[in-house]
Amino acid sequence: MNRKGMFLFLLAISVCFLSGCWSKRELTDLAFISAYSLDLTEEGNYEATVQVINPGNITSGLQGGGGGASSPPVIVYSVTGENLSDMDALVTKKLSRTPYYAHTDLVVISDELAKKEGLPPILDELDRDIEFRTTTTVVISKETKAKDLLTTLTGTDRVSATKIVKTLDTTEKMLGENLRVNVHELITQITSTGKEPVLPSFTLKGDPLQGKTVNNVQSSELEAAPEADGLAMFKEGKLIDWIDGETARGTLWTLDKVQTTITSISWEKEKKAIAYKVMRQKTKVSATLTKGKPKLSISTRAEGDIAEVKVPVDLTDPHVIKKIEKELGKEIKSEIEKAVQQAQQNKSDIFGFGEVVHRTDPKAWKKLEKEWNDRTFAELEVDVKVEALIRRTGLVNNSLHTTLKKEGE
Amino acid sequence: MEKAKISSYQLFTLIFLFQIGSAVWFPVSLDAKQDAWLATHIAMAGGFCLFFMYYGLYRYYPDLPLTEYVQRVLGSVLGKGLAFFYVLYFTYVAASIVRDFGELLATIAYPTTPLFILNVLFLLVVVYTVYKGIEVISRTSEVLFVAMCLLLLSGILLIMISGIIHIENLKPVLEEGLSPVIKSAFAETLYFPFGQMVAFAMIFPYVKEREKVKRTGLWAVGISGLLLALVAAGNISILGLEHASRAQFPLLASIQSIKVAKFLERLDIYFILFVMIGGFIKLSLFFHVAVMGTSHLFQVKHPSHLAYPMGIVVLLVSMTTASSYTEYMEEWRAVYLPYIDSSFQAVIPVLLFIIAFFKNRKKAV
Repeated sequence: MNRKGMFLFLLAISVCFLSGCWSKRELTDLAFISAYSLDLTEEGNYEATVQVINPGNITSGLQGGGGGASSPPVIVYSVTGENLSDMDALVTKKLSRTPYYAHTDLVVISDELAKKEGLPPILDELDRDIEFRTTTTVVISKETKAKDLLTTLTGTDRVSATKIVKTLDTTEKMLGENLRVNVHELITQITSTGKEPVLPSFTLKGDPLQGKTVNNVQSSELEAAPEADGLAMFKEGKLIDWIDGETARGTLWTLDKVQTTITSISWEKEKKAIAYKVMRQKTKVSATLTKGKPKLSISTRAEGDIAEVKVPVDLTDPHVIKKIEKELGKEIKSEIEKAVQQAQQNKSDIFGFGEVVHRTDPKAWKKLEKEWNDRTFAELEVDVKVEALIRRTGLVNNSLHTTLKKEGE
Repeated sequence: MEKAKISSYQLFTLIFLFQIGSAVWFPVSLDAKQDAWLATHIAMAGGFCLFFMYYGLYRYYPDLPLTEYVQRVLGSVLGKGLAFFYVLYFTYVAASIVRDFGELLATIAYPTTPLFILNVLFLLVVVYTVYKGIEVISRTSEVLFVAMCLLLLSGILLIMISGIIHIENLKPVLEEGLSPVIKSAFAETLYFPFGQMVAFAMIFPYVKEREKVKRTGLWAVGISGLLLALVAAGNISILGLEHASRAQFPLLASIQSIKVAKFLERLDIYFILFVMIGGFIKLSLFFHVAVMGTSHLFQVKHPSHLAYPMGIVVLLVSMTTASSYTEYMEEWRAVYLPYIDSSFQAVIPVLLFIIAFFKNRKKAV
């Protein structure tokens, strides 16, 4: 064949290959799944629920109730089955479009499933699937069906998956009682012998039946709304306990995940009289071993400002500031100690102390590894040191209470 | 031997892209656990030794490629036999690279496309490049090298910014002592990718500036080795040992976990580009040396005429070598790596070098 002929031949062949898109999927034929949830049915099967975005209704009415939108921004479909891939296929009986998991933001797992079956059976599919991202956030539903968190319509952020993820982000940043964990981190923690996972939990306040209807978002106070509610503690892949309030924050302190938060102390018998806003903090966990027996020490250094004062205190006096700092240190220390205690009672090393020991003394870890959670961790001696530093006092130096007190005298 | 010439800079880019070609996305030296980066360093030292050997042979026969000088070293009959086996070896490596690629693309990007189609498409491009000759391959690699550098720099930057590196995952260093690290380095990483440099024994004679071959080669091996060690350390510090050793393609998993400023995420395309650039050069080179070796051996006047027919051979071998990815990997680990690779990359060149040394000493006397 001459050169020209060859060239034309190749050109003709490439047409066949270039024009075809083998695995093409049109946008209008895809069902974007924003959230995925798993419940346990009474027969012991899984119930998977997918939350599909209803594209036409996302853009209309960005703020609040949405006004004219008569159909909801998301549609939810549920199927039951014995494994996840099976259910992914079964759900297509109800969907008109191909389910597309690459943009899934959230996985909700019900507390019942997490308690009875544990997480490992469901994680493999999430890890193996190409479409599904391991950066997806995982949440445990607390005292509610996981499905109900997806069916409830939400206000400002109209897709409840977005709402839940954003709530987590915000509350982790502002309060520090919740933390965002993704599938990848969860798997890493479950497979590690020196660290057990903690996951954020969400609960549904209100009536789930009310939450399903568009009416839910047409009043200024939502009838039903998902709410972040502490942390779930795991052991060997199974949910064993909840961590709430200050203890949850203590957990985040220990995990070095607190960004900003408010800590309050009592002052002259007035409870929570002085509020302190933590601006930045650093927590270090280290281990020392004596004769093969580990001892952990946690040292926290927090920096922040005075946020509020309810009693007359002389904030212009450095000695007083020092005294407040000391009290604050004690307060944070007690939070951390509570968290450590709860974990020790449950014999679940959610802080990764085991990994710290492993890194410090790999040889000793070999001996400790087997009985780490059940014996060594549970009886571990933990030393907590907290240093809280007050840098500024806000726009006011002495509180108006000081003036009020003087007038009173 | 075609009358092509390549510059030492082109040689550098060729070696660099060749080395990181398929090694960058394979789980390299993970037998050494969190010390994979150390194992890569040790293997790199071994790689330098191998390079010196190939270079030494090149110094004895600066005008001849490997398949020719084996005939000078071992005599015509034995040499031709060995050259024939080398050609088979190069062909098989080319086929295995095609298979690697097909498997990777079928796994991550084109799940419903048959492997055969992926392999055909990839080979079509490569066959055309090889048909055009080594100069074209070198110029392509010169261009792609720049692209690769930009990708690497921006990739490293993104990973650093997104704050997903947890250096503590690399601890404890040398948990089990030095022996598993050395074992992993010399059982696996030395032959993949460092030993594959044996293909350059066929390329060195093309280089214009002969005195620069040594320096260029050492730099290229050193830099690509350091990069591989960096990738190994990066994967483990990002993913943790457990996940990194479970992942089919650890680098992909690492890249997928990049998240910068809530919009720079899902950068899988980085991975695909790494793979395509490196793999293209690596496959082109192996396929080129296979074609050149065949043409010398059977005295075919126009080596490029062999490109298309041999492309079909490579395609068929790549398809028939194993029925599943698991089988393919097992084949590689159990037979290919410990026996075939080690003999063609290390044992035979050492013997050749020793014989060549004595032969040439006699001549000198």
